Amino acid sequence: MEVVVSYLAWVAVAVFVLVGLYRMLRYASLPVFLRWELYPVPTEPRHHYGGSYMEEVDFVKKARHHTRIGGLIDMASEVFLLKKLKDYNQFGLWPFSFLMHWGIYLLFLWFLLLAVEARLKLGVFTGLVNFLGPVAFISGAFGSLGLILKRVGNDKLGSYTTPEDYFNLIFLGAVFGSGLIAWSYADLTFDCTRALIKQALFFEASPLPVPFWVWLHLLLFELFLIYLPFSKLFHYAIKYLTFDKILWDDAFKVKDSPLDRKIAKQLSYIVSWAGPHIVPGKTWLEEAQLTDGGGEK
Amino acid sequence: MKEQKGLAFNRLAALTDEPLLKLDTKKLMPLPYLDAEPPVKPPPESWLEKYDLSLDWHSPVGVPKPKTEQEKAELVRRFLSGLGKLFDPQNNWTFLKILRLTTDYCMRCQTCSEACHVFVASGHQEIYRPTYRSEILRRLYRQYFTPSGKLLKSLVGADIELNYKLVIRLMEVSYRCNVCRRCAQVCPVGIDNGLIAREIRKLFSQEMGIAPKELYAKGTRQHLKVGSSTGMSVGGFKEAIEFIEEDIGDRTGRKIKIPVDKKGADILLIHNAGEYLSWPENPGAFAVLFDAAGIDYTLSSEPVGYDGVNYGLFCDDVELARIGLRHVQIAKKLGVRKIVVGECGHATKTLCVITDRVFPGDLSISEIPRESCLPLFWEIVKSGVIKLDPSRNNFPTTLHDSCNIARLMGIVMPQRNVVKAICPQFREMTPNGARNYCCGGGSGFAIMNELNFPQWRKKVSERMKTKQILEAFRDCLDPSQPKYVIAACSNCKGAMRDLIGHYGLWDKYRITYGGLVELIVNAMADLPKPFIELEFISNE
Repeated sequence: MEVVVSYLAWVAVAVFVLVGLYRMLRYASLPVFLRWELYPVPTEPRHHYGGSYMEEVDFVKKARHHTRIGGLIDMASEVFLLKKLKDYNQFGLWPFSFLMHWGIYLLFLWFLLLAVEARLKLGVFTGLVNFLGPVAFISGAFGSLGLILKRVGNDKLGSYTTPEDYFNLIFLGAVFGSGLIAWSYADLTFDCTRALIKQALFFEASPLPVPFWVWLHLLLFELFLIYLPFSKLFHYAIKYLTFDKILWDDAFKVKDSPLDRKIAKQLSYIVSWAGPHIVPGKTWLEEAQLTDGGGEK
Repeated sequence: MKEQKGLAFNRLAALTDEPLLKLDTKKLMPLPYLDAEPPVKPPPESWLEKYDLSLDWHSPVGVPKPKTEQEKAELVRRFLSGLGKLFDPQNNWTFLKILRLTTDYCMRCQTCSEACHVFVASGHQEIYRPTYRSEILRRLYRQYFTPSGKLLKSLVGADIELNYKLVIRLMEVSYRCNVCRRCAQVCPVGIDNGLIAREIRKLFSQEMGIAPKELYAKGTRQHLKVGSSTGMSVGGFKEAIEFIEEDIGDRTGRKIKIPVDKKGADILLIHNAGEYLSWPENPGAFAVLFDAAGIDYTLSSEPVGYDGVNYGLFCDDVELARIGLRHVQIAKKLGVRKIVVGECGHATKTLCVITDRVFPGDLSISEIPRESCLPLFWEIVKSGVIKLDPSRNNFPTTLHDSCNIARLMGIVMPQRNVVKAICPQFREMTPNGARNYCCGGGSGFAIMNELNFPQWRKKVSERMKTKQILEAFRDCLDPSQPKYVIAACSNCKGAMRDLIGHYGLWDKYRITYGGLVELIVNAMADLPKPFIELEFISNE
């Protein structure tokens, strides 16, 4: 089984990266949409009160200033603090979601440090790795379980939650739970985990016997990596599109700009809506130019 | 029929005329400083026989009950056809990316719910929760158009029973959202459930020709054919201008000629045509202010050009593009340097933001700039070119922010700067600015008066604003002191008129409403008498 876990590690990382990239590109390649920004836009210098460049007379003629740092701070507060969930969620999801998300972050960091430690033969991370692992397991397991119970126990949340949503949380809980059991029951110093990571990285037979819970934990983590980009849990990457590329996209169109050329292409798309005011077979631009508004069929 | 635990989405498909919800004033959010309010009246039997009112006994559309099985099947077929087009890049390039992300990645955490004034004001009625209608659309899409939904069915939530009742109720529930997008503002993932309400409306309008008549038949259709959504012809517009010029003379003693179709003017000023009919003092105040400040502007008398509204914004992208295009083409023909939109929130956002990406390059904002009138007001006030006397506005005022202008355009400070300069007793509502609550008339509700929809609007969607207004004036409710709610938006003013009348705020507390420009002109020191009269005229 250790051999399967070793080879699957490479497959899992490849799927995680490549499918993730593919999905992002698929979404990014969808047509340019109409402006739909929402204030406060944190990249605006006036974002502290929700203001925009449109507060200026003749804003078209004036230089515009964006503060990337504002966007980064806002995104960081969402990623690391889950600020909106904390400020606005009425169901008390934040403490559990916070623990679960930090469990995931620390779990990824833990595996990364294990790989770096093995690859560079560094011992400096040993203490940190031995500390981070249990913290990630406990935090993630507690958070996942809490979120499951919250959804099961609250009718308003539960009725919107699909089996797929529960599966995601149970899957996460299993990854953290198996890690917790592996650590506390079979691998308190993570020596066996290190041996298995080395085996995966260098295709060498492990010098130590790898207990069931250790390889099970790694197997579950690898399967989770494969599953992640296909699932709704991929929202960690999608936030870049929903925030940065939609809600904060306040750019007006400039003639002959790349945006203008994209829009021009999309205006040539054929409209096939069947409403009585729509003349079928015309392009979007032709529909818009109908001076009588298309009449009624 | 299969029912789910707790809230049943499949209730929407229940084959009964019994409504899913009967509004009861006792269950609605309590209002402060009001002892009683008119009860909710049930619809007359004749309506129940003719129309499908099975969502909540109200409707802005009034869909006739289908009589035959064929008609019922046809409703479902056309709905599914439209649903497919909603997710098609050619047919819905305008919003597809946002729709797809919103459909695919809602985490169902319900964080958005408490941000919704309709949901909260209704007493947390489940069918008005911002995720309710979205979840149904999301599940239907998955069920009928994705391999995972077809394969895994209820495991991924693809388990909605689709019949003609669900189609009608889903259309109705899309018109229980003001599309103020406050829900999107608090979403941890950046998901926009407000957009989904609009996309459902769009499906019905663009595919099935079903929309409230005030938005469609008497809205965009009339706007494009007659020249204005109010039904005002070119002749009617010119008569309105003559009347306003006379009214200005009566109010100020000044003889002002309002410029119309002046070629090469600096600014094309476009008002919501509802102003000419309901609040002519508003365009009149613009004329006085611009005349005094030496602004070089013109109005247009071309059909569509004298009415800034664009009800396509609320339910139809094709109509949105048509009306927006006419506005900008008229500006180009007149040779103006830019368009300034009067006090109308949705018209401002539509021209300045939304429609920019449905025009060819030479009509881009970079070529024909479009702006709100509010920054210009502040420029005029700040410049000192007009002598203003704030003591003329020495009565309590509060400011209602149009969602379209504040949350959706980021125009927050210019109007505040003006108000603070001319209104000594100004106080903010809470929350305000980009975090404000909708007036309850947003996304066309203010003008939708079919059947008993006004009752729903007054009881539910305008309820939160009523509460905010009362709380803003809580220290000066004494009826001997008139109070003024500033609403620099035509539709918002319609909602103010509605709620002040319904809850008796003028009779009880002397609360009235009006635009911002009227207050600026009211403060002009060299006018012989006040420009505005603090009074309230109901539309009932």
